[in-house]
Amino acid sequence: MLKAAQPDRPDALTWVFLGLGLLLLPAGLYLALSAPPDVNQGYLARIMYLHVPGAWLGYLAFFVTFLYSLLYLFRQDPRYDRVALASAEIGLVFMGLALVTGMLWARPTWGVYWTWEPRLTTTAILFAVYVGYFLLRGAIEDPELRRKAAAAVGILGFINVPISYMSVKWWRSLHQTQSIDLTTGKIHMDPAMLQALLFNLFVFTLLYLGFVRFRAFLAALEARKEEV
Amino acid sequence: MKRVLLLALRDLRLEVRDRSGLLSVLAFFAVMLFIMALALGPEEGPLRRAAPGVLWVALAFGSTLLSTRAFALEVEEGTLDDLLLTPGGKEWIYFGKLLFQMLLLLPLALLSLFMAAGLFYLPLERLLSLFLTLALGVLGYASVATFYAGLLARLKGREVLLPLLLFSLVVPVVLASVRATMGLVEGLPLGEVSPWWQLLLVFDVVYLTASALLFPLVMEG
Repeated sequence: MLKAAQPDRPDALTWVFLGLGLLLLPAGLYLALSAPPDVNQGYLARIMYLHVPGAWLGYLAFFVTFLYSLLYLFRQDPRYDRVALASAEIGLVFMGLALVTGMLWARPTWGVYWTWEPRLTTTAILFAVYVGYFLLRGAIEDPELRRKAAAAVGILGFINVPISYMSVKWWRSLHQTQSIDLTTGKIHMDPAMLQALLFNLFVFTLLYLGFVRFRAFLAALEARKEEV
Repeated sequence: MKRVLLLALRDLRLEVRDRSGLLSVLAFFAVMLFIMALALGPEEGPLRRAAPGVLWVALAFGSTLLSTRAFALEVEEGTLDDLLLTPGGKEWIYFGKLLFQMLLLLPLALLSLFMAAGLFYLPLERLLSLFLTLALGVLGYASVATFYAGLLARLKGREVLLPLLLFSLVVPVVLASVRATMGLVEGLPLGEVSPWWQLLLVFDVVYLTASALLFPLVMEG
């Protein structure tokens, strides 16, 4: 993802992703707020336009961490570790966003902020796994051991992602099943709402790409400072 | 294969000869079960319902205590590097340590099952099925615990970090084991319990292969 081993400033692509993402964010918000209200839930359903991209990017980010952790273990190049770190950090933020928006939605719909339901529980556990990832990073002084240990957690922790994604199907729980089911490719949603959701997913993904590249660049700066 | 067995037996002999470590883990199990029984008691119904959860949480704590021991001696004596220097792949170290863990944990798990049965009014009619659940669940714990213990062996704060990392990862194992145990204790037909066994088996295989593949990569260098 980052070509130079010691970049002085973020490259052009990073700025393109960040700029486009930030520019399109208001448009996404507009679409989300002008989308038709849901038949059952009314305007409350609009929280979905924030909740779904948050969860999706959480999963995506953890997948990227998994991929780059593997790459790091096989190639031993610190650049891969920096991308894994950046992605995990941003994934944690988006996962947190998904958890918070989910709780805000659950209170008026289910009557409680939190229930011990499989999707919620597995997501919270997933969140805890990556909190552990950063605790571990913070605890190890030796840079090489730190990178290796983090990569191991990044790989093993990812096992929880498919569990979390599939939990609504396996346990047939309170949480809604996926509106866009990646395993079968079926879509259960009003076209206007779907458009708004897809647009928001796209904008958030752009933002994620920009953030990851920028954060990896910052990590490179930090690494250089650590060496001096 | 021979090396795996040798390593496990050597560790087992050291552990049994020392005794203090084993005894402290056993005492920990007993105290924990007592405190939980005291906190949840004294009615029979709630105690029986809580028993599977208490048992598996106690086992989770116990397995982290034991897994730090698997590598603690090697680090103290400075023999870890000798082990890593032996020619050939490094997987056998992982499997040896895992076997050692299982040899210690299985009898301990069985013992704590009996203790839990005594303190929490658990019926033990289906001992064989219960033992199968114990074996599958303990293997799930031990596979990840051994891997992390090796990874963190050279670290100072490992006693605190290990449970933090481990517990969030083995939650699926805890869940499936507790459900299977609960089903067995409540007398559900085996057909309703076996999906949880399948799930446990899947987790065991996934964790075991992932840990065995990662172990050499992480320990080298």
